[in-house]
Amino acid sequence: MEWEQFELNPRIIAAVKRAHFRSAKEILCVSGPDLQRLTRLSKTDVLRLHCAVAAAVRKTSPVTALQLIRGECPVLEPGHRLSFACPVLDGLMRGGLPLRGITELAGESAAGKTQFCLQLCLSVQYPEENGGLNSGAVYICTEDSFPIKRLLQLITQQSRLRPDLPPALIHSRRLTDSVYIEHAADLEALQACVSQRVPVLLKRGLVRLVVVDSVAALFRSEFQADEAVQRSRHLLAFSSTLHRLSHAYGAPVVCVNQVTDVMDGPNPGRCDYGLVGSKVLPALGIAWANQVMVRLMLTRLAGQVKSDSRSCASRKLEVVFAPHLPRASCLCGVWEEGVRGIPDDALHDE
Amino acid sequence: MHRTVPSLPLAPSVKVKLINAGFQVASDLIDMRPLQLCKEAGISQEEAVEVLQMLRDDAQPHQQRAATESVTALDLLHQEQSLGSIVTFCSGLDNVLGGGVPVGKTTEICGAPGVGKTQLCMQLAVDVQIPVCFGGLGGKALYVDTEGSFLVQRVADMAKAAVQHCTLLAEDTEQKQALEELTVEKILSNLFLVRCHDYVELLAEVYLLPDFLSEHPEVRLIVIDSIAFPFRHDFEDLSQRTRLLNGLAQQLIQLATQHSLAVVLTNQMTTRVSNGQSKLVPALGESWGHAATQRLILHWEGLRRLASLYKSPSQMEATIQYQITVQGFRDATDEPRHASPSENYSKRPRMEDLS
Repeated sequence: MEWEQFELNPRIIAAVKRAHFRSAKEILCVSGPDLQRLTRLSKTDVLRLHCAVAAAVRKTSPVTALQLIRGECPVLEPGHRLSFACPVLDGLMRGGLPLRGITELAGESAAGKTQFCLQLCLSVQYPEENGGLNSGAVYICTEDSFPIKRLLQLITQQSRLRPDLPPALIHSRRLTDSVYIEHAADLEALQACVSQRVPVLLKRGLVRLVVVDSVAALFRSEFQADEAVQRSRHLLAFSSTLHRLSHAYGAPVVCVNQVTDVMDGPNPGRCDYGLVGSKVLPALGIAWANQVMVRLMLTRLAGQVKSDSRSCASRKLEVVFAPHLPRASCLCGVWEEGVRGIPDDALHDE
Repeated sequence: MHRTVPSLPLAPSVKVKLINAGFQVASDLIDMRPLQLCKEAGISQEEAVEVLQMLRDDAQPHQQRAATESVTALDLLHQEQSLGSIVTFCSGLDNVLGGGVPVGKTTEICGAPGVGKTQLCMQLAVDVQIPVCFGGLGGKALYVDTEGSFLVQRVADMAKAAVQHCTLLAEDTEQKQALEELTVEKILSNLFLVRCHDYVELLAEVYLLPDFLSEHPEVRLIVIDSIAFPFRHDFEDLSQRTRLLNGLAQQLIQLATQHSLAVVLTNQMTTRVSNGQSKLVPALGESWGHAATQRLILHWEGLRRLASLYKSPSQMEATIQYQITVQGFRDATDEPRHASPSENYSKRPRMEDLS
């Protein structure tokens, strides 16, 4: 650590070197009185030292919310979101997925979560003015193998899903080239993938969307019921890596989660997130929920929805919580060309 | 100059030697020369010089006054009342808190994800700016975001609703004049945001707060959302975590009292298993529970969102219902906008499942 770079009295720098401090972190983690004792500096000198080191650690000085909304700080507030490629779904999400933070998509099996993720992998590749991020996606599979046939089908049907895009734009892109597929069979592989391979892709600008399908599978299978503390620790390590990557590169992270059955009534030890009457809750407990910024739930309903002359099983996409969205849901269907929200029956709870 | 020798701030060995030599009161020493003192008390010349230097400094009047300055409780009461509080726009919660989030104290807001902690913090950051003639503080706010959940779109919604609320209330000319300056842009320009990505950046930010506050003396609210997030992962040494958190809490309460501002911290919930039963408790451990002056716990009960004042030196423990609307944090009635306080809160002694 080059202490000379700080604009401090040489006496202070000498004292810091004598006390064998090696990094700014070490200085900030020691309190004022302790630092006085270790370096034998006076109270004002220690205060100056703390301020100088803190100023060096601080990445950006405070900005006003007005600067953010005017788009003057694109690092903190990019001003656009990742579109779902459907105007109804984008309307539910007020533009789409936020670029920083973990978005969770929870639901039962066969609800359609993978379909959503595949659609996002294609939507991210279009330019920013069309709701994309002009970059690819990395898809980490932990459960089944990657549904490559379905992805190819979606690609051929893109012009049907996106009538707003000029066909030349769709055809000019080789949409398969920018979807990177990773398989992780156990937790170690998952952590290695997320801490080594994914950062390389992000740094090179090859991807700007990370999908983990699913996060629950490995964490639920590798830990017994009484190993909750270890599971929490691994979950926190995993989610903090994702969180750091998302914020550093402005890349949305989508994590697919499973659900658990709710068998007994309200339980004070379990948070229901206000989902009364739901027979299922997102898995992995409150330790994981604390790391998630936007939580979406996808439920398969009994009826059918129609589009043109086709019909399919109806699904409900619900915003459970998000800092910028109210509790709302909309119906959607999974078609040949992808997932589409149904505009007329947009429901608003609460 | 009637201080006795034992009460002087000297090393114990020196004091013993002075007392044994017969010096009982400080005035006995004041006229001595270092060499004389050295011979009579049997202390070294250096120590003698130190003793006389200390006595000379002690004799200066302003330092003596500082040592004995005291304030009456009535003065303190007036001071506290004049500090004011920040309204939350949820009259039930304002009543429970005794007017709003108090200035000069630290308030902790705990709750499960999605219950409304960030919403309440954003609401307070807008409400602190309400002009004095409307009953607000007319101050600025600093928002320290550690989770990345500060989305300015939502704050703009709340600011617009706050301006509309004030427009409805404006009666006299002073209020109407203040209203002309109160625009959404002005509110957004008085809200500062800092993002910290880990606990080291958070510690650095708190060390830089005194400088920031001297540059922006109108800041009346500091929000840290959340203080739990950076401290809950990669901490192998929990005792270091406790030490750092306690240090932070002390720095923040010192800033709150010195600069007359309110400090609001948000905390997460965690599961604690005891006797085979699990319940949700605030995170960061037992000792952190003593850190903040007041503790508010937000929780779900079925479809209802409830806020419980769990720890307060001056207010009674109570629970009220609230809701989050498009306008922001509000009372849980059908009418989102109303000027009269609502009566829908219940005072319950201690919630059983939180004890």
